[in-house]
Amino acid sequence: MNLNLLAYLLFFPAMLALAVGVAQTCHRHGRPWMLGLFDGDAAFVDAVNNILLVCCYTINLGYIALVMGDWERVTSIEHLIGTLAQRMSVIVFALAALHYQNIAVLLIWSRIKQRRTLKNTQP
Amino acid sequence: MNNLFVLTYLIYLPIVVGLTLYVARTLFRNGRVFMLEIFKGKADIADATNRLFEVGFYLINIGFALRIMEVGGYWTNDPFDTTQEMVEVLAGKIGGFAIYLGAMLFLNLFLFFRGRRKARQNGVNPIPVVAQPMH
Repeated sequence: MNLNLLAYLLFFPAMLALAVGVAQTCHRHGRPWMLGLFDGDAAFVDAVNNILLVCCYTINLGYIALVMGDWERVTSIEHLIGTLAQRMSVIVFALAALHYQNIAVLLIWSRIKQRRTLKNTQP
Repeated sequence: MNNLFVLTYLIYLPIVVGLTLYVARTLFRNGRVFMLEIFKGKADIADATNRLFEVGFYLINIGFALRIMEVGGYWTNDPFDTTQEMVEVLAGKIGGFAIYLGAMLFLNLFLFFRGRRKARQNGVNPIPVVAQPMH
């Protein structure tokens, strides 16, 4: 069997599982924050949250498939492991960056909202 | 070689159409909340508009998927003849399409939010009364 194909076969399911897991974590634990941002409107928050989950899936999986295109020719098992580790590290770092960006947006947004409500309540 | 091209199309089409269907269903099932708010709780108009936009979403995205489908033609790489190259070409196409689909989702979500904000700004109902058909 072609070693490149084997590398793709290992790479894609592993990254798929990772991306789906991260997305679901964001979906589950982002909900309380969004409830705070949208004044506890649960139906609305769930709608937005579900749409964002699907956005997250399509973009992350699309990127994972996109970078699967042009790997160098893998010739041996040790080469396979090295290439696989490098490619996986790129995806894991990208997911980490997206994750922290998510947290930052939630924090900054709720800070802005808090400040605005404070200003509105003060005489 | 030609058989590999046909096989590529046979793998590409169901994946792309299935992805579009899944994404659009989710988007517009959850978009109903926005539509109800934009149309001030008139469920029939909200559902009708939602359905119309859903069909438009299918048309645009499946149209785009078909537009980029051709392999080894004007748009893309050289002809290929191994399974590895087929997997790489398929991954590139499906990955690119999925990212495009994600961008369309964000665009739609942005439009939903914009509609909601406009509806809130105009306290009165901005939608003209639809004329009843005469009997």
